[in-house]
Amino acid sequence: MITGQDEAEAARQLREKIAAQFGRSLHIRTLDTGSCAVCEQEIRLLSAPHYDLHRLGFFFTPAPRHADLLLVTGPMVRAFEVAARKAYEAMPGPKMVVATGACALGGVYRPDPFVHGQVGAVLPVDVWIPGCPPSPLALLHGLSVAVGRLAEKTPGLTLIADGQSPGDGT
Amino acid sequence: MNPLNLLYGAGGAWLAAALAGLLAGTRRPGLLTCCAISALGGAVALAGGCWSLIYGNTPVVTPGGAAQTITGGPLQLQATSLAGVFVAVLGLVAVAIAWYAPRYHQPGRGTAVYLAAYNLALLACLAVLAAGGMVTFLVAWESMTLACYLLILRHPRSGDSARGAFWFLALSEIGFLLVVAAFVILSAKTHATVLDTMATRAHLVNGGWLAATFLLALAGFGFKAGLVPLHVWLPEAHPVAPADGSAFLSGMVVKLGAYGIALFAFRLDPVGGAWPGLVTMGAGAVTAAIGILYAMRERDIKRFLAYSTIENTGIIVTAFGAAMLFHAYRLPALYAFLLIAGLYHVANHGCYKTLLFLEAGVTEHAAGTRDMDRLGGLVHRLPRSAVITFVGTLGIAALPPLNGFVSEWLIFQGLFQGFRTGSHLIAILIVLAAATLGLTGGLAIYAFVRGFGVPYLGMPRTRPAADAREKGQPLGGPALLAVACVALAVGAPVVLAALSRAARTVTGVALGPLLLPGNLTVIPAHAGFSAFSPTYLAVFLVAACAVPALIYLAGRPRAASVSVPVWDGGMVSFRPRMQYSAMTFSAPTRVTFDALYRPAVSVTRASDDDPAGRSGPVHYEAQVTPVFERYLYRPVIRAVEWLAGAIRPLQSGDVNLYLLYVFAVILLAYLVGAL
Amino acid sequence: MPLWFARGLRRGVVTTRYPARPDASAASLPTPPSFRPEKLTRDLVDLMIAVCPGPALRRADDALIFDVGTCTACGRCARAAPYAATPSGEFELAATNRAALVKTIPILGEQR
Repeated sequence: MITGQDEAEAARQLREKIAAQFGRSLHIRTLDTGSCAVCEQEIRLLSAPHYDLHRLGFFFTPAPRHADLLLVTGPMVRAFEVAARKAYEAMPGPKMVVATGACALGGVYRPDPFVHGQVGAVLPVDVWIPGCPPSPLALLHGLSVAVGRLAEKTPGLTLIADGQSPGDGT
Repeated sequence: MNPLNLLYGAGGAWLAAALAGLLAGTRRPGLLTCCAISALGGAVALAGGCWSLIYGNTPVVTPGGAAQTITGGPLQLQATSLAGVFVAVLGLVAVAIAWYAPRYHQPGRGTAVYLAAYNLALLACLAVLAAGGMVTFLVAWESMTLACYLLILRHPRSGDSARGAFWFLALSEIGFLLVVAAFVILSAKTHATVLDTMATRAHLVNGGWLAATFLLALAGFGFKAGLVPLHVWLPEAHPVAPADGSAFLSGMVVKLGAYGIALFAFRLDPVGGAWPGLVTMGAGAVTAAIGILYAMRERDIKRFLAYSTIENTGIIVTAFGAAMLFHAYRLPALYAFLLIAGLYHVANHGCYKTLLFLEAGVTEHAAGTRDMDRLGGLVHRLPRSAVITFVGTLGIAALPPLNGFVSEWLIFQGLFQGFRTGSHLIAILIVLAAATLGLTGGLAIYAFVRGFGVPYLGMPRTRPAADAREKGQPLGGPALLAVACVALAVGAPVVLAALSRAARTVTGVALGPLLLPGNLTVIPAHAGFSAFSPTYLAVFLVAACAVPALIYLAGRPRAASVSVPVWDGGMVSFRPRMQYSAMTFSAPTRVTFDALYRPAVSVTRASDDDPAGRSGPVHYEAQVTPVFERYLYRPVIRAVEWLAGAIRPLQSGDVNLYLLYVFAVILLAYLVGAL
Repeated sequence: MPLWFARGLRRGVVTTRYPARPDASAASLPTPPSFRPEKLTRDLVDLMIAVCPGPALRRADDALIFDVGTCTACGRCARAAPYAATPSGEFELAATNRAALVKTIPILGEQR
């Protein structure tokens, strides 16, 4: 129990723990819950020589029993819900879920009788990686955030431009 | 004390049990009484058999003076050491079945007759084993056959039952004819009917007659033991008998065939030369291989076990044949060693085969079917039964540390020393036999993984299998046999010491120091070849499993563990039909050995030209060609029928013709007498 | 085989050093826009919402709600309103909190 310590310290310790556990070796199991497969193509590029995720200690594994991290794409169609839950439950703890792609993050597909709309409706997501599709660099960044190697930039990001804009006179 | 007295006690108890069963078997108290007396008889027989192993051969006794048996010859009894093993197995099997029977059978008229027949069969088996004279042996043998026929015919209205019983009776009678011929020839040549006298005078008989006698005996007892191609009655008769009847048939009656072969080979018929041993060993090896190959294609648990009995008979007969070979080549240590190994396998097989058949009966009662493809998941529903069956399966698959492993190790070690005969040809043939037994052993493991895994493991394939319950099932008898299996393995030095005493009476070789040099180790008749300690192996294996288990239990993390289903690919519903079926599991052997099986496969679709491309249900049928029935028995049967048809005109019904026959025969007798 | 080897040696190592060092190809990635609040007017925002093919942009009174999570970086809002929306060059957008990906940009431009 973390009592009497402030949140930042707790967060730092948690990051350290995660980094210690997964920082040097992470086994990823990909899960396609109904995507258009372009996210899968970008994920596959990670194994190519240019991005080469092995140099970072990340590995793909087909068996959830051997996986530490579940990389989920697609809007979680309802027909896939049981399989997704089974895959998640089959992973031994500690485990993480990373949702990637605009479909998985929610909003692209409204929840209806055939689709949940976002992965978070069924699985507890730890890291969200936007993009349609997310470039391999974005994926590498997201995975590094998940294992605690990099800090996330999004909370501090305002997406408000300052400075020169093209051809602006006013 | 004379072990024969113990055998008298056992025989009397079984006679009393038969009467009790017949008179009172229609009620439950009568059923219980009958089984209790039968168990008592079995215990006494077990003690008597073990005692006669150590005591040696008793003198031949003619109780009641020259009391006449049915055929007019005297009743001659003798408790021999060789028969001691078989008597002990008979006793143990009788105790186990008597413990099993009350919960298996419902009291009634059919049960009363069945129990009477069963106890009479026990008595007849005991008489065969304790026979000191030829006539006693033959009368007891025939009584045993008739009693077993009644045993198999428990449900006379069923067509399968009648067919199985008929095959048993027909082939047993043919075998009996051959045995009678063998005994009569030997008795006529030695001018004696007491077995001991025949044995001492046998070496005076002409070699050709001895050879003929041996072949007749091998064939005659081979019918009973189940040597290929004389085995076709076994898979027909065993499944139709009730479970304890099948257990008795497989565990004991088949052993009597092996006893007969041993009797002629080692006591009565000292045929010279290597060829009798070769023939026996070859027949045994072929039987073992073919037995287990046919077992792989069976879905019915009892037919599967019946073929496995054929396989084990082959192993026993191979051991006896090799013993004969070593005797012919004047290697007395190996001769005695292989005889001991064969007898050990007899005892072991009696234990675990009886256990497996009794458990098959439990399964049939609990799940309503004997078909492996309709069972599954019984380990959860019948847990204790599963454990007991597992012990029996480990035993019969000859896996350490159980008894099957010990006896098969002994047989293999004996066969591997074939080079000591000095003849290259014989050494190669012995190694061929060992290789065949090796193939058999591997296939046996495969077959019994299937035989245990398909019914007991996985998910239930049908509703009755899912509804199986263990309450009220007779597990006492099988549990006793499981304990016996373990005891025979761990107590191997004791068993081997007793068996070597028995072998000394037959072979004249005291194998003690060459078999058991001390420290619970067993060596195969020659020091420096190999060594093995069954007791230490059992202890070591238990410790090897227990130590990691203890470490795990002691160091288990405190956090609660989560139990999740097996990862099945995320399938929504895992249906039992997605599992291996019994036939697909053994499909590789079908492909490899299809020259033996000659499978006839037929695939039919409901409709091949549906416009939408759907073909409807597909019907697939694969049948193993019954090679022996079709190519051996059917021609013989047709020849006999032809012969009968050819003779038929003699029975014309015309009285004048019959008078002519009478006149012709009188004339012929007069002429022959005058000459 | 030796030709392939020689060609490979001449090309050198093509693996990126990301995340230890910035990647050269990152500059040409399509990225979500960043907005200039002083250039935003209500009409402009409504125009951008109309051309956005996804649900990334929403207007709530005087604020532009931009859900980065559903943005496909197609660039239509930037082409429609080049002074108000420009590619941000940000691709490292992973977030542990879904709500952190929904940005609110105030509409400060005057209605013309």
